[in-house]
Amino acid sequence: MTTEFPFEAETADGDLTSVGTSAVRIDGLDKISGAAQFVDDIDFGPGLLYAAIVESPYAYARILSIDTAEAEAAKGVVRVATGKDFPYKFGMYMEDRYIFAQDYVRFVGEQVAGVVARSHREAVQAAKLISVEYEVLTPLLDPRSAVADDADLIHPDLDDYTHVPWFFPQADTNIAHWRKIRKGDTKKAFAEADYILEDTYRVPRYAHCAIEPHVTVSKLDYADRLTVWTASQSPHTQRHLFAEALAPLGFSHKDVRVITPYVGGGFGGKAGVSMEILGAAMATLVKGRPVKLRWTREQEFYNTYQRQGVVAELKVGVKNDGTITAVEHKLYWDAGAYVEYGANVVNAAGLSATGPYRVPNITNDSLCIYTNLPPGGPYRGFGYSEFHFGLESHMDRIAEAIGMDAVEFRRKNAIVEGDELAYGAHMNPSGMIEAIDRTAAAIDWGVEEKSDNPNTVIGKGIALFWKAPAMPPNSSSASFLKFNEDGSINISVSGMELGQGYLTVMAQIASEVLSVPVGKIRVETPDTDRNPYEWQTVASHVTWSSGLAVEKAAIEARGKIFDVIHQVYGYEDDSLYLEDEAVKCKTDPEFSKPLREFVIDGIQTEDGTWRGGPIIASGKFMPEFTNANSDPETGQGGHPNVHYTVGATGVVLEIDKDTGRIWVRKAALAVDAGRAINPDLVNGQITGGLVQGLATVLYEDMRFDEGGKMMNPTFTDYKIPTAFDIPDEIIPIIVEVPQPDGPFGARGVGEHTMIGAAPVIANAVYNALGVRITSMPITQEKVAMAIFEKSEN
Amino acid sequence: MDLKLKVNGEDWALDVAPADVLLDVLRERIGVKSPKIGCERGDCGSCTILMDGRTVRSCLVLAIEVDGHEITTVEGISYEGFSELQNLFLQNNSFQCGFCAPGIVLAATELLDHNPNPTRHDVQEALAGNLCRCTGYEPIIEAVLAAGDGGSE
Amino acid sequence: MVIAREFDYQRPDTLAKAIQILEEYPGSVRLLAGGTDLVAWLRDDAVAPDLVVDIKDVPGLHALELEGETLHIGSLVTFTELIESELVREHAPLLAEMAETVASQGIRNRATMVGNICSAVPSCDAGPVLLAYDTTVHVVGPDGERSIDINDWFVGLRQTARTDEEVVTHLTIALRPHGGVYVKLMRYAGEDLAQAAVGIVVYPGDEYRVAFGAVAPTPIRSIRIEEALRGRPLDESLITDVVSMVRSEISPITDMRASAEYRARMTEVMLKRGLMAATERLAGTGPAYGTRLI
Repeated sequence: MTTEFPFEAETADGDLTSVGTSAVRIDGLDKISGAAQFVDDIDFGPGLLYAAIVESPYAYARILSIDTAEAEAAKGVVRVATGKDFPYKFGMYMEDRYIFAQDYVRFVGEQVAGVVARSHREAVQAAKLISVEYEVLTPLLDPRSAVADDADLIHPDLDDYTHVPWFFPQADTNIAHWRKIRKGDTKKAFAEADYILEDTYRVPRYAHCAIEPHVTVSKLDYADRLTVWTASQSPHTQRHLFAEALAPLGFSHKDVRVITPYVGGGFGGKAGVSMEILGAAMATLVKGRPVKLRWTREQEFYNTYQRQGVVAELKVGVKNDGTITAVEHKLYWDAGAYVEYGANVVNAAGLSATGPYRVPNITNDSLCIYTNLPPGGPYRGFGYSEFHFGLESHMDRIAEAIGMDAVEFRRKNAIVEGDELAYGAHMNPSGMIEAIDRTAAAIDWGVEEKSDNPNTVIGKGIALFWKAPAMPPNSSSASFLKFNEDGSINISVSGMELGQGYLTVMAQIASEVLSVPVGKIRVETPDTDRNPYEWQTVASHVTWSSGLAVEKAAIEARGKIFDVIHQVYGYEDDSLYLEDEAVKCKTDPEFSKPLREFVIDGIQTEDGTWRGGPIIASGKFMPEFTNANSDPETGQGGHPNVHYTVGATGVVLEIDKDTGRIWVRKAALAVDAGRAINPDLVNGQITGGLVQGLATVLYEDMRFDEGGKMMNPTFTDYKIPTAFDIPDEIIPIIVEVPQPDGPFGARGVGEHTMIGAAPVIANAVYNALGVRITSMPITQEKVAMAIFEKSEN
Repeated sequence: MDLKLKVNGEDWALDVAPADVLLDVLRERIGVKSPKIGCERGDCGSCTILMDGRTVRSCLVLAIEVDGHEITTVEGISYEGFSELQNLFLQNNSFQCGFCAPGIVLAATELLDHNPNPTRHDVQEALAGNLCRCTGYEPIIEAVLAAGDGGSE
Repeated sequence: MVIAREFDYQRPDTLAKAIQILEEYPGSVRLLAGGTDLVAWLRDDAVAPDLVVDIKDVPGLHALELEGETLHIGSLVTFTELIESELVREHAPLLAEMAETVASQGIRNRATMVGNICSAVPSCDAGPVLLAYDTTVHVVGPDGERSIDINDWFVGLRQTARTDEEVVTHLTIALRPHGGVYVKLMRYAGEDLAQAAVGIVVYPGDEYRVAFGAVAPTPIRSIRIEEALRGRPLDESLITDVVSMVRSEISPITDMRASAEYRARMTEVMLKRGLMAATERLAGTGPAYGTRLI
């Protein structure tokens, strides 16, 4: 049974001229020249004020008093703010979060007060003069102790919180959401299994580490219009959340404008709203003046979203022939002090925690648990990297235990088109088998390699991955398109250029439909006043969703172009086509009307009057086949995910037997992009995502002390890769099994390329050393100590 | 205190406080925006400038220290036309978000000025102080190596 | 974050003026050379001087030259200058090998080796190498010049033998033919502080200097290991003997960067690999200087 798609996306007839080419990025010149402007680069004149924040030193405490008198009197200070100024809750999927802390602080670093001053130095100096008295409480720093019967309630009013209908908070507990999947009969299946493996895997928290820190400039003008310039992945969602959070002050969406230029890396950390609300809120206290709030690198680490940690209890049953019959996956998420966004990570993982396999019997539980640690939130992979570590390690172990080749085991069980998913819907077309085969070939799977160096051993590993966009069922994209006198095009969208090449891909789609070269198409960064709606640039969905909106706008523009030609020259629409920026006619080969001659001015008819005028168009896309209906006890009945992107990762490692040092000699990654609109950009996601994924397993190591304070909030001690810390060779493999409803068959790949990295390393380390490590990160120290331990036993 | 310096060929005279950091003075007072604020500890390299031809972390320099010196940023390099290196970065789609790009351009420029035919290891060494989270470095390294080969592809 | 606390700044153009300031200024003073430590500390509010004295205009502090058998390294010589100096590569290659492991190009272009041993953090890279070499630190203060043997330089955690009124003018290293190695344990191939470090110099006749970094409050020499090695050709059993002495010579801590046990184990491996490389280099073979051994 194949899935039916309601919208047959445009497919080109004839050869593609733009889609499928590695066009030079349309923002490339900006980036090599220093012209690219980020929020902190914008000048606001001498009136710009600066904000600094006072933070909680405790992970859990009651605020007894805040003394701001000395700060208010300090030199250069314009205004001081505390929670009393903004006693409002807000949140993306659940309203559990405050602008400034109210009666309690719930994580080290939580904002308690803010100072606005005439200079940055004065703001920082004045912030030190604010004294806060706390009653210190005992924090809950891991998810399992937070679900113990006698655990303190971090959010005692959980039951009263507004939330999306597909969340299931458990009143009087610290469980903010519990996604359950119950399918088939796992009890019976385990009883009948030939082999069962059960184990626990541990994944800690991670930081996004975009090189550009979060920053906002906010201004409430004298006409009560609030404008926020922000480094954000989601201008419209930010506008929505600002309007909701500040609604008690009388704001609604028409009063709020969000402007977002280039963003210096997002990776999910700049989605939703984290620190930006502070700038926006404080601006309302200093009418007429712009206020800049820029996070330091340290604040970037501990007071923006973090990738949640998870303890994963996994039990899988198989038959002797390798068929997976049952999966029981219990995920205890360390979701942090506020879960307004992070709860959806838990949800997404819960829906897909079988991994990319055909599994008839499932008992999965994904629990979103409050802890007194920084708020968890969206991070590239959205829960999938976290559970794939254990899952793909586990599958390797099972294959070995039953004497089956690890690749063969994957091939046998890999999910394919039409298979039933955990929640009852069906798998979209996808090239998982091709991905597995090409990845295995790229690393010479099955060929054991011996090292030339007597000190080292070589190991190989494989891991699969999948992910679907985790979005509300009504997430939408829209686009405006207009021509200019020279036949060039401006496209307005509200998707964000985070570096992934989104603007270029939109231009290539329009270029393909309208025959205008990519170099003559500008795609503008958004201003919510001018650009039409885009839900967010997250979920690896904008190539698909925004791409469809742009494609529709381009098709509409093309239709209008043909209408004018038909009106003036009489040719039928279906005889016309666009080529080389001109309208041509299949039935009249002599006819060629360059676009630039009429896309603004129109066409003059025989009697001297004109037809046409400016060619403008719009397009929008919202899926109409998704829904969030699902039984809270079984997860069945809904269609929450639009489609999955699948792939495989393979590595060849060399490991020093005495020191545990790992060299990644070769890494292959295959991802099914449906259609690579720009292969260079897909390769960019493969290389960049793979390196980021490898970093989480090999280098990044977030530490908290017993008081819940992050100990290493700097690049000195939270190590992200340098130019030295990359594989010797990366082999990107683009699989193209078209997504029937995608623009030219495309689907997203941006997050997926990270997901297999952690388990593939665990598997290759085992292959090389016979040492199985079930917790992340797998640092040199951890490998070395495991080697030492093994040699002593 | 009086500070006189040359930035991208232009003379400047400013009054700065001793505690004013060069990166902030360049961005806020002189209006040169390509050196970025990334970590303010010298770890990420996005604040990199060229001073007397060598890369320097402008977040770790007090503005007053550079009295009498010459500073070049990527705006200065781009002014008369892009270098071969910049064109290779462009054609190779080497950059993604672009935030690290100014620092990388300067680090690679310094390398090629001192070592016109670098090895891959040389390129990695020259760039090791510039953190990039987006690209995984490979397309950047390729472009610098191509610039070193003495000709574009 | 800006540097929140303000301070005064002076840039004396002679050594005498610099010393006079240090002697007479009523408040607290910090010397500024490369600034890659000091400016970061100022931002972190880790230090709060009333006055910063920039010595980069003081003449005579930038020499890098060989006087007979003595290498003279001015206190303003940067790590980059050490790396790019043919003199250093030929006569004291261990300095260049160590310098290449320090931070990154943009830091090395400013940071000075003398500044590195004045900051004297336990993991300072120059520490083990200068201890392994025959190094003297030369300072000038209100009472005139003073020479401090490197073995008397590191007196405690982040503390040196320099008084607040003295300026380090240069280092001298008494050179003779040697092989050497600087082995630095890092958390990855990119830039990192040493998690443990070993510096070794070996002279003809099996005369060794062995020093450790990042495994004690200061960089330290191990006279005991040197004595055990003295005059004996290096073989497997000798290496095993001295490796078994490592634990009693060092006192690594467990912190967020690494555990004490890991540091100790790795130091043992580093000593073994380092001894082999150093003796091979003395013989004109072995891995090229700059090759990572760990």
